[in-house]
Amino acid sequence: MFHVSFRYIFGIPPLILVLLPVASSDCDISGKDGGAYQNVLMVNIDDLDNMINFDSNCLNNEPNFFKKHSCDDNKEASFLNRASRKLRQFLKMNISDDFKLHLSTVSQGTLTLLNCTSKGKGRKPPSLSEAQPTKNLEENKSSKEQKKQNDLCFLKILLQKIKTCWNKILRGIKEH
Amino acid sequence: MTLLSIALGTLFYLLQAVSGESGYAENDFDDAELDDYSFSCYSQLEVDGLQHLLTCMFDDSDINSTNLEFEICGALLDVDCLNFNKLQERYFLKTKKFLLIGDSKICVKLEKKNMTCRKVNIVKIVKPEAPFDVRVVYREGANDFVVTFNTSHLQKKYVKVLIHEVAYRQEKNENNWMRVNLTSTKLTLLQRKLQPNAMYEIKVRSIPYANYFEGFWSEWSPSFHFRTPETNGTGETDPVLLTISILSFFSVALMVTLACVLWKKRIKPIIWPSLPDHKKTLEQLCKKPKKNLNVSFNPESFLDCQIHKVDGIQAKDEAEGFLQDPLPPQPEESDKQRFRAGMQGPSWPSEQAGITPKIFRGESPFRCLAGNASVCDAPGLLSSRSPNGREGGKSRPLVYQDLLLGPGTTNSSLPPPFPFQPGILTLNPVAQGQPILTSLGSSQEEAYVTMSSFYQNQ
Repeated sequence: MFHVSFRYIFGIPPLILVLLPVASSDCDISGKDGGAYQNVLMVNIDDLDNMINFDSNCLNNEPNFFKKHSCDDNKEASFLNRASRKLRQFLKMNISDDFKLHLSTVSQGTLTLLNCTSKGKGRKPPSLSEAQPTKNLEENKSSKEQKKQNDLCFLKILLQKIKTCWNKILRGIKEH
Repeated sequence: MTLLSIALGTLFYLLQAVSGESGYAENDFDDAELDDYSFSCYSQLEVDGLQHLLTCMFDDSDINSTNLEFEICGALLDVDCLNFNKLQERYFLKTKKFLLIGDSKICVKLEKKNMTCRKVNIVKIVKPEAPFDVRVVYREGANDFVVTFNTSHLQKKYVKVLIHEVAYRQEKNENNWMRVNLTSTKLTLLQRKLQPNAMYEIKVRSIPYANYFEGFWSEWSPSFHFRTPETNGTGETDPVLLTISILSFFSVALMVTLACVLWKKRIKPIIWPSLPDHKKTLEQLCKKPKKNLNVSFNPESFLDCQIHKVDGIQAKDEAEGFLQDPLPPQPEESDKQRFRAGMQGPSWPSEQAGITPKIFRGESPFRCLAGNASVCDAPGLLSSRSPNGREGGKSRPLVYQDLLLGPGTTNSSLPPPFPFQPGILTLNPVAQGQPILTSLGSSQEEAYVTMSSFYQNQ
């Protein structure tokens, strides 16, 4: 009896708790009329674009992040989920408070709208370095400004991808 | 060991129960105290750059809010909760950290204990800033008033589209406000819809256009006062227009007067010429008979005349004999007169220099004395002495069916016979009749009678 109680107390409930997030990882996109995206997210994305344009002189190489993650059909919510989490990485950059505010709004606003139940606690958040493998060759000789420039370029592309994916979602909702 | 496992299991389940969704705090305080702490809030976005303002206050102004605090949790950036600041009886929070997506929870706390909470959405309780700089300009040419105002939301990024309400009234009518809704910042009021020479008050307020952002009416803008002109433009009539209108009036009056005066004599005959009346025309052409003129055809009235029956053939021979005699030349005027007298209708035989008398044998009971044709002037006969003698040269409509010319006619002009009375012969002295024959001969050339000649003789 001791073994039975021990198993039921310490075995099954944690197992249930661990398995539930894996079983239910769906995202339910709220705000399906697009009001939140058009009136809040798009405003902040455009502000970020305007702020980045002052500094950027980007290369045309597509980072690896987008080769691994794209806004394919039926994977739009997953892509936005990953992209929004990626935006958080840029908060660590040496940028202005308003820039951080816009980044936080886009990131957290997207996650709120996606309303994904998968929290992904066991996953390591992707770092900025993974997105640009070519940077490994350039880090030896690049200055902090060059690194920042590259990050901004990546951010610019990321924002455009997020915007495109949102438009695709809303267009699909209107067609249905 | 058993006790340890039981304690850990109990603790485990208690942790689960506590960490689970407990619902809103207000459900735990579903008692009379909830009504005491009822409150209302409104938000104002981008009041200072990127900072927003959230203001809350108790509905009951008598409440003792000494130790009461407000807290908002949820839908915030990078933080879980934020506390309000208190200013007199109002609680406000000025921050950039509103996510503007999703619901938040605002709670009233008393010594860190939630007294009441309410779920709110910041974007649904937006109260715009009041419009300002209201101006009214009168346009004299257009007879209207242009109302313009300004709002700070034109430069904002979130709440950009608003509905503005313009309210105006005549100052003596305190509660009779006229209201107009519009989305732009310019309004036109027609002068004819306002009272002249009156003082008006006008003000504006705004509300978010119900798209994503919703909320409440803003405060009224400061009022603007203006006065309408004294009259509706009558006192400032264009002098040129006034002059033209007066001249037009008098011109029309003059034309109407002239039309009435000249209607019968000049206008009507041109517009509606009357058809000639043959009887009247003849009467006019011929002399009017004297009142005491005996025009009866009663044979007894011709007792003074010598009546001779005329043999038709003999008369014809005699007429031909007269016509063959050469006639002396006469002055042109007399020629013309006699020419007019001798004009004939188209039915005359052209080979006749004279006129073939047409005598009914035995039917004409009488005839006038030869040479005394003037006695037998029939009334209404055409005469060269007619009033229109000057005009008769062209188309004097003289129709003769019978004319016997012979010597012995007087010097006077030929009295023509009555056109439709065959059998009446008039004689004219040859000496003076030569021009008559000439005129008769030449009259054939231009002999035609038209109805218009009748008309002219009128």
